[in-house]
Amino acid sequence: MRTVKHVTCPVCGCLCDDLELTIKDEKVVKVKNGCALCKAKFLGYSKHRVLKPLVRKNGRFFEVSYEEAVSRAAEILTEANYPLLYGWSMTSCEAVSAGIELAEEIGGVIDTTSTLCHGPSTLGIQDVGISSATLGQVRHRADLIVYWGSNPLIAHPRHMERYTIFRKGRFQKEKRKLIVVDVRKTETAETADIFLQIKPNMDYEVLQALRALIRDQELDVDEVAGIPTERLEEIADTMVECRFGALFFGSGLTMTRGKNRNIDAVLSLVSDLNKLTKFIAMPMRGHFNVTGADMILTWQTGYPYAVDFSLGYPRYNPGETSAVDILLREESDAALVVASDPVASLPRKAAEHLAENPLIVVDPHMSATARMADVVLPSTFVGIESGGTAYRMDHVPLPLKKIVEPPEGILSDEEILRIILSEVKRKKAEQMENP
Amino acid sequence: MMNLYPTKKFRFPITAECISPDVFQDKKIEEIRRLTVWEGNKQRILGELFKVKESESETKMVVINIHGDVSRVRRIGAYMTSGQIVIYGNAGMHLGEEMEGGEIIVRGNVGCWAGSMMKGGKIEIYGNAGNYLGAPYRGVNKGMRGGEIVVHGNVGNEAGAYMRRGVIKVYGNAGQFAGLRMQNGTIYVQKDCEARVGACMKDGKIIVSGFLESVLPTFTIEGLKEKVKIENDETAEGPFYLFLGDTAEDGKGKLYVSKTKNPHLNRYEKLL
Amino acid sequence: MKMELIIRNGFVFDPINGVKGEKMDIAVRDGKIVERVNERKALEIDASGMLVMPGGVDIHCHIAGSEVNAGRLLRPEDHFKYSERKTATTRSGSGHSVPSTFTTGYRYSRMGYTTIMNPAMPPLMAKHTHKELNDTPMVDKGSFPLLGDWWFVLEHLSNGRIEECARYVAWLMTSTKGYAVKIVNPGGVEAWGFGHNVHSLDEQVPNFNITPREIIRGLCKVNKLLNLPHTIHVHTNNLGKPGNYTTTLETMKCVEDLAADDKPVIHITHCQFSAFKGSDWKTLRSGAEEIARYVNNHSHVTLDMGQVVFTDTTTMTADAPFQYTLHELTGSKWTNQDVETETSVGIVPFRYRRKSYVHAMQWSIGLELALLIKDPWKIFLTTDHPNAGPFTAYPRIISWLMSRRAREATMKKINRRAQSKSLLPSITRELDFYEIAVMTRAGQAKALGLKDKGHLGVGADADIAVYKINPEELDPSRDYKIVRKAFRRAAYTVKGGEIVARNGEILKHVKGATLWLKVKTSQQTKVNEDLKRRFRDYWTVEYENYPVSENSLDISHPINVEAKI
Repeated sequence: MRTVKHVTCPVCGCLCDDLELTIKDEKVVKVKNGCALCKAKFLGYSKHRVLKPLVRKNGRFFEVSYEEAVSRAAEILTEANYPLLYGWSMTSCEAVSAGIELAEEIGGVIDTTSTLCHGPSTLGIQDVGISSATLGQVRHRADLIVYWGSNPLIAHPRHMERYTIFRKGRFQKEKRKLIVVDVRKTETAETADIFLQIKPNMDYEVLQALRALIRDQELDVDEVAGIPTERLEEIADTMVECRFGALFFGSGLTMTRGKNRNIDAVLSLVSDLNKLTKFIAMPMRGHFNVTGADMILTWQTGYPYAVDFSLGYPRYNPGETSAVDILLREESDAALVVASDPVASLPRKAAEHLAENPLIVVDPHMSATARMADVVLPSTFVGIESGGTAYRMDHVPLPLKKIVEPPEGILSDEEILRIILSEVKRKKAEQMENP
Repeated sequence: MMNLYPTKKFRFPITAECISPDVFQDKKIEEIRRLTVWEGNKQRILGELFKVKESESETKMVVINIHGDVSRVRRIGAYMTSGQIVIYGNAGMHLGEEMEGGEIIVRGNVGCWAGSMMKGGKIEIYGNAGNYLGAPYRGVNKGMRGGEIVVHGNVGNEAGAYMRRGVIKVYGNAGQFAGLRMQNGTIYVQKDCEARVGACMKDGKIIVSGFLESVLPTFTIEGLKEKVKIENDETAEGPFYLFLGDTAEDGKGKLYVSKTKNPHLNRYEKLL
Repeated sequence: MKMELIIRNGFVFDPINGVKGEKMDIAVRDGKIVERVNERKALEIDASGMLVMPGGVDIHCHIAGSEVNAGRLLRPEDHFKYSERKTATTRSGSGHSVPSTFTTGYRYSRMGYTTIMNPAMPPLMAKHTHKELNDTPMVDKGSFPLLGDWWFVLEHLSNGRIEECARYVAWLMTSTKGYAVKIVNPGGVEAWGFGHNVHSLDEQVPNFNITPREIIRGLCKVNKLLNLPHTIHVHTNNLGKPGNYTTTLETMKCVEDLAADDKPVIHITHCQFSAFKGSDWKTLRSGAEEIARYVNNHSHVTLDMGQVVFTDTTTMTADAPFQYTLHELTGSKWTNQDVETETSVGIVPFRYRRKSYVHAMQWSIGLELALLIKDPWKIFLTTDHPNAGPFTAYPRIISWLMSRRAREATMKKINRRAQSKSLLPSITRELDFYEIAVMTRAGQAKALGLKDKGHLGVGADADIAVYKINPEELDPSRDYKIVRKAFRRAAYTVKGGEIVARNGEILKHVKGATLWLKVKTSQQTKVNEDLKRRFRDYWTVEYENYPVSENSLDISHPINVEAKI
């Protein structure tokens, strides 16, 4: 029996780094400080593992060596005219870095799961910017917390405990006021001081109305999205009167009607509020390192997701270069999926196109996507069996630890990608010599 | 006059901003065939993807006719300053992006970002246009700065976003957020329009002659107008409700909405 | 591997060793300058008719880290027309004012630069900064942690505990793999935590019993106690506000008594932004004369220019309240990122226009400072990249400094009123290549305390730039366009003894080392224990997860510093 302290949790964007794990026989047997999602992951991750590389021949999977699987993968990727490299939100920054180099080498498109969750947040930021802060700034100073289209008690269970409602800070010892805005009364809404239940798909109208109200504009309407205008005036006053407000938004805002324009509006509202008080906003990022994938892509290419290398240099234009759109238009002719299960999350038609073409999956699990693949490369669990770096939702980088030994012979995502990359380079050099 | 015929049904995105009168000008047909294009991640020459044929022309103007489906071909006519492109089929994204002059006519549908950041010239589309008609690239706050876009079919979301000058006329329906953040210019939608038209507009004019799903709560009713001028000699017959907005950004844009097609807006009349 | 190289017959400018354009050979072995090499075996560069200088050193350029990346993310419109294609040796990239990391390294190397300092690292984000620096090839690099508003600094200094403060700074410097103490709008950044600012050196910082003056003086003392190679590196209070030149003078004065042996104790960075006279934007005038007069009469200050160039760029500083003002002024999009217990950052896209009175005055002020300060060892060439313009504008700035005609050519195109208020027409000074070598490498290396950089003496790092300029034939005053062109693309850039770029082409992608300070103090263990105990009251991460481990640096170059305490 041994214990490992200060472990970073590889589940959600909160990236809690205070876990204490008890290990027995190279298995995690006890998790201290973790939430239910964290415990489920550490205690149950080892189910449904793939332990041998698989290659599909005549419709059936055969167990092969890494060497053979990598060779097949490199062949697929080298031959492709418009390959897609997708996933990246549940692996280390180091693996993403290898993935970007591979995408550049093969002239592919690299996109992350941002495309399905907070991609619109990025587009919103690119239009109006974002007034934000690290979570500790919120903890020390915020007296007003707003969760909009997000249900942290379920999706980010320790967010309120560590950073907002239940945590005291240097300048904030009193209980903070909590506003929840959602289309249904969520678990988080149950705990709110003010719950604003708005009609579905009308967030944009509510946000714009609030923006006008904090400018002391009068509205011609009596209600917006089912909320009486007087009530909205009260909310606007509450926002203006706080000392430091923090607004967190989730996919209830990014993925509903209006998408990036909802974010444009929420970020504009928060920006406007800074004329009158201090206010910050933050997207509630889901997968534990989706933020890190955005960050590395941004510093290496200039763009945070949906980066197309087909012309030999990075190009970015979600809607054009984003994975879902490429798949729906049936443009790609091969795909590499790393640390994600798009078949389970993409629109059906997009998933079908993904499966119809040569597909390589790097994953510790036999995921739904892996089952459709032509090559499956089993990998370690990042943050459990291999280390690296991940970024918290507020862009704070934290170390991921190797806690236990991986199953014998299993490589990490980063190692697998690096050998695919060198195999691709080798094949390309070979082709140059014998065209 | 140059005629281009696709040699096959394209599967991968084709990037071909060389298909522009400015580029073709003063080039021999052989040179035109050798122009660089991209098919997915493979570099090709135009002659591989298109049969290029020259035909007699009455004008001195450079005219390019494209015969067939080029819906996967992107950036046709980008940056063009003169001449004419006529497409007998559907065209891909970024058609006429940043064009400054000349004319593009499409006898079919076009993809997203047609006329993106256009500065001058004219684009006429007989079918439908995708999202972001005339709208700028990500992060850019200058949309259309001049010229004219006419769409005989429907358009997608965010038509005319960030518009600073120029005219967009849509004879079909428009999606959400038409005229988003526009500062000047005119957008006319003859038929129906989805919600959030004129969101964050500072100035300029949007006319909706059909049914409008809803008016943003941040627009205030200003009056009733019998008719509105679209451009020069073209007017839209009303009566129209005139709204001002977007007050969320202290905007003074004008939004004209047909009174007869929108009985759900008559509650605003009591405020007049 | 024995790598030998000889650079023959160039006109060598090596100010640290007093070499002023003499024709000589430079010999290189294993990455170092040596007396001589085996001339038959060594690789030879024929530098006849060319300038040979130490590789360029940049004391202040925001090229990596969370704030730079937030700028990149904010601005796809900055990148989409500035793409660089992958080649057999180089990675691809994009960006005009906030280029991606690989591209940044290549662009510096093409200009003959080999060492750069990234001047604003939020300590909590240090891992991020170093990851980006790992991905910034071709140059050696260091980073300055932002310390002027760190709660521990404010607390210790307000209680007069200078030595304890020094030990905390030592811990942080080593933990974040930092190179120098950076102070930005001291007190103002903390005040920004609740949306406020401070407006003078003696205004009380909200919630802390301390003033900006006390922070600057305190950290200046700390810096001396720790024996750090560079001075405190200060972005003044009131930066970017008309009338702020008085704050700048006061800031320099406030540490006057801490100086000894004619050694600098303070570096005022991007001074142009802090040299405004006048009471508002309409009455803006240059405060360069007053600042230059002070600097000419004192030896405890160094400065860098922060020279404005007329282009579209991205402003980014830890002075978040200033960035907010800029957002209100321009209406441009705005990103802000406060960092718990430490600092903040603000980002606003910006275009400097020739026809704007204020922008044209700013352009003039930067050059006035550089030309009115007599000693080139006191003022260095920077644009505070990307705040006053991207670093790729350095060759243009060199031509302005070397040529009155070049200045006049630009002067003709700027705002009329600015033409009449500018001091430039009265300044005849034209810098020579020796002075340029001081301002772009030797002086910067000296101010940074980089013993092996910025010169070509035996034992120095073999970081060398060769430019296609014959100083015997070319008159830089007249042929300023040729000068500009030559500095844009070094004929050769040698990094660590290898030829890495030639005529603007990158021949080899090399990593470059990360320079950082390993500061040793007595009783450090006690301080670390104390920090560990209190850590969770300050931050939301664990003490153990905060430091940057040395093995996360691709090439680590620690510099041992023995503190006086």
